[in-house]
Amino acid sequence: MTQLVWNGLFVGSFYALVALGYSMVYGIIKLLNFAHGDLYMLGAFVGFAILGAAGGVSPAMTLPVLLAVLVATMAGTGLAGVALERIAYRPLRHAPRLSLLITAVGASFALEYGMRAGAGADPRVYPVRLDGASFEVLGARVTLQQLVLIGLAVVLMAGLNLLVTRTREGRAMRAIALDPRTSRLMGIDVDAVISRTFFIGSALAGAAGVMAGAYYGKIDFLMGFLIGLKAFTAAVIGGIGNIPGTMLGGLLLGLLESFGTFWLGGEWRDVFAFGVLILFLTVRPTGLLGERVVERV
Amino acid sequence: MRAIPLKSIAALAAISLLTAGCGQGLLGGASDSDKQAGPIVLGMLIPQSGSEAAIGPYMSNAAQLAIDEINAKGGVLGRKLELKTADDACDAQSASAGANKLVTEGVAVSVGGYCSGATLPTLPIFGKAGIPMIIPAANSQELVDQKLKHVFLINGTGSQQAAAAQKWIAKQGGTRAVLMHDNTSYSKDIALRTKELLGAQAVAVEAVTPKESDYSANVTNVLSHKPDFVYWTGYFQEGGLIIRQLRQAGYKGSIMVGDGSVSPKLAEIAGASTAEGVYATMTQTPDTIQGASGWIDAYKKKFGSEPGPYSNQSYDAVRLAAEAITKAGGTDGAKVISALEAMDGFQMFSGPLKFTPEHTLASGGFQILVVKDGAFALQDPLT
Repeated sequence: MTQLVWNGLFVGSFYALVALGYSMVYGIIKLLNFAHGDLYMLGAFVGFAILGAAGGVSPAMTLPVLLAVLVATMAGTGLAGVALERIAYRPLRHAPRLSLLITAVGASFALEYGMRAGAGADPRVYPVRLDGASFEVLGARVTLQQLVLIGLAVVLMAGLNLLVTRTREGRAMRAIALDPRTSRLMGIDVDAVISRTFFIGSALAGAAGVMAGAYYGKIDFLMGFLIGLKAFTAAVIGGIGNIPGTMLGGLLLGLLESFGTFWLGGEWRDVFAFGVLILFLTVRPTGLLGERVVERV
Repeated sequence: MRAIPLKSIAALAAISLLTAGCGQGLLGGASDSDKQAGPIVLGMLIPQSGSEAAIGPYMSNAAQLAIDEINAKGGVLGRKLELKTADDACDAQSASAGANKLVTEGVAVSVGGYCSGATLPTLPIFGKAGIPMIIPAANSQELVDQKLKHVFLINGTGSQQAAAAQKWIAKQGGTRAVLMHDNTSYSKDIALRTKELLGAQAVAVEAVTPKESDYSANVTNVLSHKPDFVYWTGYFQEGGLIIRQLRQAGYKGSIMVGDGSVSPKLAEIAGASTAEGVYATMTQTPDTIQGASGWIDAYKKKFGSEPGPYSNQSYDAVRLAAEAITKAGGTDGAKVISALEAMDGFQMFSGPLKFTPEHTLASGGFQILVVKDGAFALQDPLT
């Protein structure tokens, strides 16, 4: 049982990390950024390229080197996110919602198949692996590497939460989420704040990409699709636009999948997990922590 | 199933745009009279995009190699052969679009088909056009269950592979086997057939969702049955991860994979030391065929890379198509089908060819391979 919980929490923390970017972007400009999962993929490949360029890494240095790569990758994918927003989304900000959605799907394709053209369709294997002996905690197999990854995810999420709730920048984001036009009148540089939001969300997705690459080993150009979908789901369960809710949503989805597999078998896992979600959303359409928003006119 | 309707449609649109752009070549305006004199076109549906895109070139290169060899000897019935490929993306919608494209391009024989799930919907499309299909790789039993006259499989079938798996598990003394599949028709078919053959020795069947990274939940399930033999029947991308995660979770028993997982990438993904000793059920690959080194050299010289899984079957599919057209004296579909049915003793990599009444190989030719120093080597020919 503890094993199931641990499996669920571990996968869930990846979902949560990716879901945050979805949630932030949606919260601020009401855009479902379908290319978000592909920024996760991009992160995995950027990390792969940096590690490849750095050459061999001695086993003792694995963690520090990976941390450095993680930071560099976050910067890289963050900038890619900003570019994406500038090129694909900003010109359409006042266009009908549907055009923006289709643009996001297009951006997703461009990233996926651009990566395929650049790096090839063959899956790549990370040169550095987070391998380690497992030890038992309350009957669950846990590795030190898993703990480090979860720790990293928690630090990143806590940092984000602080940023949004405690800083001027965060206040500006929240203001834009409430009402972009008034925010502009109050002297907030809306475009710049949106750019920075994309930077942060994309950087988190990139971080998750590197972490997944180093832990699981295999990366490929389509790896972002499924996790993008899952992250979107996690964001909706938690209450899209709400940061602590999104984190909870990610963990909850991970746990649902883990228990679904155990109770009903792998074939029924997604039926179970998503069935619960549908039920849940019919009861609470705003998600776990989402607020009931009064429709603005 | 791959439930990506929105994306698939867009992908289709993109692909058809692309292909429309470059389809204006030789056959763009071929009329019926040209068809008699121009090259004989062989069509090949292979994955060129999507998750299985890595396999496509192995197949199309080998087919091209066979075509070049045949053309160098004067072609077939005085006409040159020409290869047209289309992308099936290992996905039913893309495959149907690709098959329709090949049909309008006037192919005489189809020599492609890798993913069973993508090949299945193309059967009626080629069938309606009266085009015989020699399928080199896809091998789900469902392909021949409909007893379609124009469908021929030259790879071993799912039931033959399951028989080989059962034989090896029994030989290794496995008593608690768990079968793992990825819910695709090809993979599930082999897993369920193997389970049936194993009877009480099979303790569980576990299905996973392909394209994910974390299979720890499935691994926990598998280990709860205390298995001594795990047989994975899906593709190598997930296979590598599953092997790795099984071993990480402390599983010490035997692991075996199906032919979709036989790729150098499997050991790379799993980690070379982790994959060591993993068995595989596989038809002949270029490496395990006696006396194929000359062929491998020719392939390498032409394409600058090693042949891979299904290169030899694709090469044989083209040669077989050429032979059948020669015997039939033309490209008329019905005559070519009769010629294929009458084929007896045509030499292929898998041995002399003779089709069973259901249009599969009389013997599947499955062997057991094992990962040794990070690469697949022959363990037992199972003869």
